[in-house]
Amino acid sequence: MREFLEHGLNQNRRKFLSKLSLGIGGLALGSLMVPGIFDGKNEDDLFSNVLPHFAPKAKRIIYLFQNGAPSQLDLFDYKPMLQKMQGEDLPASIRMGQRLTGMTANQAKFPLAGTKFNFSQHGKSGAWFSETLPHLASMSDDLCFVRSIYTEAINHDPALTFFQTGAQVGNRPSMGSWISYGLGSENKNLPAFCVLLSKGKGNGQGVYSKLWSNGFLDSIHQGVQFSSGEEPVKYLTDPEFINRSDKRAMLDEISALNDAAYKNIGDPEIVTKIQQYELAYRMQMAVPELTSLQNEPESIIKMYGPDCLIPGTYAANCLLARKLSENGVRFVQLYHQGWDTHGNLPKEIEGQCKDVDQSSAALIKDLKQRGLLDETLVIWGGEFGRTNYCQGALTKDNYGRDHHPRCFTIFMAGGGIKPGVFGETDEFGYNITKMPVHVHDFHATVMHLMGIDHERFTFKHQGRRYKLTDVAGNVVHDIIS
Amino acid sequence: MSEKKIYQLLELSLWVLNPLILVLAIYNQKIEPGLFLQWIGKLHPLVLHFPVVFGMLIAIYFLFFQNRRFPLNTEKLLLAINAFIASGVVICGLLLSKQNAYDNDLINLHKWGGVAIALLSWLLLYLLDLKISFKKYLALFFLAILIGSTHKGAQLTHGVNALSFPQSPATQTEHKSATDSLSTLYETSIAPVLSQKCISCHGVDKIKGDLQLNTPENILKGGKHGDILKGDLNKTAPLLERIHLPLADEKHMPPEGKMQLTSDELNTLTKWLKGGASFKLKLSQLSPGDSLLLMAKNSNPVSNAKFEPKGNLPDLKEFNSNYCSVNYLFHGSDEVEVNFFQGSFYNHDNLKKLEKIKSQIVNLNMQGMPLKKEDLDIIIQMKNLQSVNLNSTKLDIASLEVLKSLPGLKSVSICGIEFDEPGINKFLEHARFSELNVWTKNGTQKQLEKIMQKYPSIKIIVGDNLEDQVMKISNPTIEQDSLIIPTHVDVKLKHLLKGVVIRYTTDGSEPDSIKSQEFKEKFRLTSNTVLKIKAYRAGWKSSDVVQRTYYKSEIHPDSIKLLTQPDPQHKGNGSKTLIDYDLGENNRYTDKWLGYRDSNMDLIIGFNQSKPLNSVYFNAYIEIGAEIFPIAAITAQGSEDGKVFKKIAEAKFPVAQKDDPSGAKTFTCNFPKGTSFKYYKFSVSNVKSMPVWRKDRKGKPAWIFVDELFLN
Repeated sequence: MREFLEHGLNQNRRKFLSKLSLGIGGLALGSLMVPGIFDGKNEDDLFSNVLPHFAPKAKRIIYLFQNGAPSQLDLFDYKPMLQKMQGEDLPASIRMGQRLTGMTANQAKFPLAGTKFNFSQHGKSGAWFSETLPHLASMSDDLCFVRSIYTEAINHDPALTFFQTGAQVGNRPSMGSWISYGLGSENKNLPAFCVLLSKGKGNGQGVYSKLWSNGFLDSIHQGVQFSSGEEPVKYLTDPEFINRSDKRAMLDEISALNDAAYKNIGDPEIVTKIQQYELAYRMQMAVPELTSLQNEPESIIKMYGPDCLIPGTYAANCLLARKLSENGVRFVQLYHQGWDTHGNLPKEIEGQCKDVDQSSAALIKDLKQRGLLDETLVIWGGEFGRTNYCQGALTKDNYGRDHHPRCFTIFMAGGGIKPGVFGETDEFGYNITKMPVHVHDFHATVMHLMGIDHERFTFKHQGRRYKLTDVAGNVVHDIIS
Repeated sequence: MSEKKIYQLLELSLWVLNPLILVLAIYNQKIEPGLFLQWIGKLHPLVLHFPVVFGMLIAIYFLFFQNRRFPLNTEKLLLAINAFIASGVVICGLLLSKQNAYDNDLINLHKWGGVAIALLSWLLLYLLDLKISFKKYLALFFLAILIGSTHKGAQLTHGVNALSFPQSPATQTEHKSATDSLSTLYETSIAPVLSQKCISCHGVDKIKGDLQLNTPENILKGGKHGDILKGDLNKTAPLLERIHLPLADEKHMPPEGKMQLTSDELNTLTKWLKGGASFKLKLSQLSPGDSLLLMAKNSNPVSNAKFEPKGNLPDLKEFNSNYCSVNYLFHGSDEVEVNFFQGSFYNHDNLKKLEKIKSQIVNLNMQGMPLKKEDLDIIIQMKNLQSVNLNSTKLDIASLEVLKSLPGLKSVSICGIEFDEPGINKFLEHARFSELNVWTKNGTQKQLEKIMQKYPSIKIIVGDNLEDQVMKISNPTIEQDSLIIPTHVDVKLKHLLKGVVIRYTTDGSEPDSIKSQEFKEKFRLTSNTVLKIKAYRAGWKSSDVVQRTYYKSEIHPDSIKLLTQPDPQHKGNGSKTLIDYDLGENNRYTDKWLGYRDSNMDLIIGFNQSKPLNSVYFNAYIEIGAEIFPIAAITAQGSEDGKVFKKIAEAKFPVAQKDDPSGAKTFTCNFPKGTSFKYYKFSVSNVKSMPVWRKDRKGKPAWIFVDELFLN
């Protein structure tokens, strides 16, 4: 059989191989025309040269993460139906057997709980605000509400991780790290990605450094957590008897040693280390200038509220976020804990709103009056929403709400976003009826605003190209101005 | 040369050429052909017609001449010649593709089609030897690729409509700018939407449902269901209906999966259709408040022209430094934005360097830089500047006059620059920019209202000024944490806002804004003190009173012995921990803390001779969440011989509340007057049964953590 084939083709192994050698010659000839074909670089290395893919609408992001999931039903998504049906069981036709958390899955009844707070409409878009957010309500004309965002995770940690990294399991790069990797830092004296934490008095949920992890990206893209004390960055002052020029000389020697080690071993983390020393050296000068409140006029302090004078509060972090952003930090990530209102919701949410209302509004106002809101995207929201039914006992003015990933509300301002109210939920506030926006869609949209095509922005790791949006995500053009 | 020699030569060369094609095609983005090779590339149009015609003939030959065939060797030679020329054409084409900017999709299709032709032609050479029956289909396939790929090539050179049927000349509508009030509403607002979202299916290239939306005539003509604008009597116009159907509806337009109308576009179309769908209505005929006019002015239709990246832009590295970043707006754009950072490192030379690219700079951010007139002289040379940020630059408004010479300037930010009314008036006179941010600590909305009315074309953003609003000031803080006074302690008070006056009292009375001592630098405490401090500032309500009690620790026992042992995890440095004058921090896992849960803390202190004492203080840590409760009670006993003890005093403390704050607290037990013993025995008891609100832990004992005892 083989002989037949060989005869028919007028071809055998020896002939084939001898001709193949000519083919290799052809390949070699071609390779002469492609400079750098054999130096082992792949196209990923060229990313820094092609970003942004198109004209960005926003240059910087401030993400005010409300950790623990604020109740959309008591803040923005007004549902009078729930008040009318107060205490009645959630109709099965609405729930449709969808999954609940272990905390309420065994409840015998799911009594609907209407909000205790008064709602009113504000601004041109007629967006609803609860009475607990008077300052934000006054900024209504600048805010873009998405009332129909949804997620896949039902518990805090996976949901938070999903929002920050695009995957429910850890070990992927955070949004801020992707932005840092893609666009780099504007100001070379500050990290491109900064993280600020604060705690409210409500029931809190943890935040962990994996949320601002660089994942498989270079560790220079990791979020830099500022500490919540009076000195946001520790050990900035030089020890006694060491002056700047000694320090410079020391760093030069260390980096020469590190450089030698890198040439020897080739571990890219060594290069990162050198860069980090250099950045830290420059931060010594840049940060004190930045964090000092001495140059802030009184009017600004009053706008953010006197709490901003107490380091580590949400208000102080908002003010610091403005200053970081104004000084070219690409991505400032705030977390405010305490929104996990399983019980005692009315009292806890009032406290949380008192913490964040004035200063969130002040941040947007402050950016606007400085002419920076056009180029800064401010995002406000939690990791999921809360149920329309009560967790635990429902009384006249006390109730609690469980986790609800199927719909919730976030809002954005500035940076190319179109103010208004988008998306809709049913009258029970349980399912989405108009314009569903998945977390991947949200990521794709944010990337788009930053001038990045999320489908072309990848990093090759362990043989696979990764994106923030994995294999999904559509840009929500309706909310882009 | 014999026929066979030629064939062999050709066959061998194909083994070289085809791998070469593969390399060139795959790495097409990266190849950099030299001048000679570029010239070779130009031969592509010269030779390409040979293999097109030759290939077609071969396909026809295999399709229709099954029975009257040439001898095999002749066939093979012809095929080899075809494959050789085809390979040559493809190589030329690949080299040529680098020299012109073509439409990306077209060039890709044409490129890979060409590669496929070359490889197929080569493959045919070997398939000829095989006695297989599907040669006909193969020939058909070959023909299809040949036609498809060469058609793309024709479109590249002669335009997309190279082979489509000629259209009447009126198909292209010119887009007029919205500001031209003589243009019609259709031209400014409707046609751009239709051309962006509809005519890809209802236009020249595709005519679905016999409907074309590219010209007014065609729109009036309607589709296969007739008129789309008016419809039958008493029914909505089909166009209006279709765009308003829910997305899931099969008849919704644009269909699911295509780019949808934005809500603004939907609004505009709806209003236009409901208003009679006039093609002649001019913008000037609309009333100034008409929403259609406003929408037309705001609408900014995305340009249909694809953005063409400018090749080989110069590197901007030389302009960048640690304190100045200079970047292209985005990849392929030649517009540049410049950001300066950290005013204390500002260097005029960095700005001066930018003169080389001054016409490319469109955004300039110099916020916080200490600028002078010489800097402004450079800035006004950047003729294409669109937005400039001069916030807090210490310039004065008069010197900014020169900015008005910039023709393209749209947005100006001068926050933090002081001005008076005539100053700003002069600055705005004949200004061409459209947006101004002027927030200062003295200017308010009210003062500027008149000016805003005077210049309605400039959007003036003033921002809030809350200077006059009275708020309560935040509390002052005490720098040291320690509450113990070994011999003396120097206390420093602090407030982050400048201009704050902190007043304090050390006698337990409330601080007073006039009489109380004002804090300067530091003050010294040497005995037991209740310190009360309060912050004051003009224009603010004074702060809360911050209170702290200091304990003098003069009396040091000669011996100390623990009668009950602390929890093995929290045993500190033994009994000495309590009298080392070293307070534990808010971390209870250091060895400065003694922790008890299963028993009371019982201890004896001894003096060499009888010692009169007034009171004892225990410093304890509280963290309700971690089950560390306040001390429940302290009992004190005294003895002269260390054996027989007599009760002196007892102090009980209130039970903890659920939301008690965490932190260290001092618990005191006062003795009756005249108490004096050689030995003192203290029993510090914990909460033995936690309250119900601890849920599953209720009824269990709570922890106490003690780091120090003070005697007085």
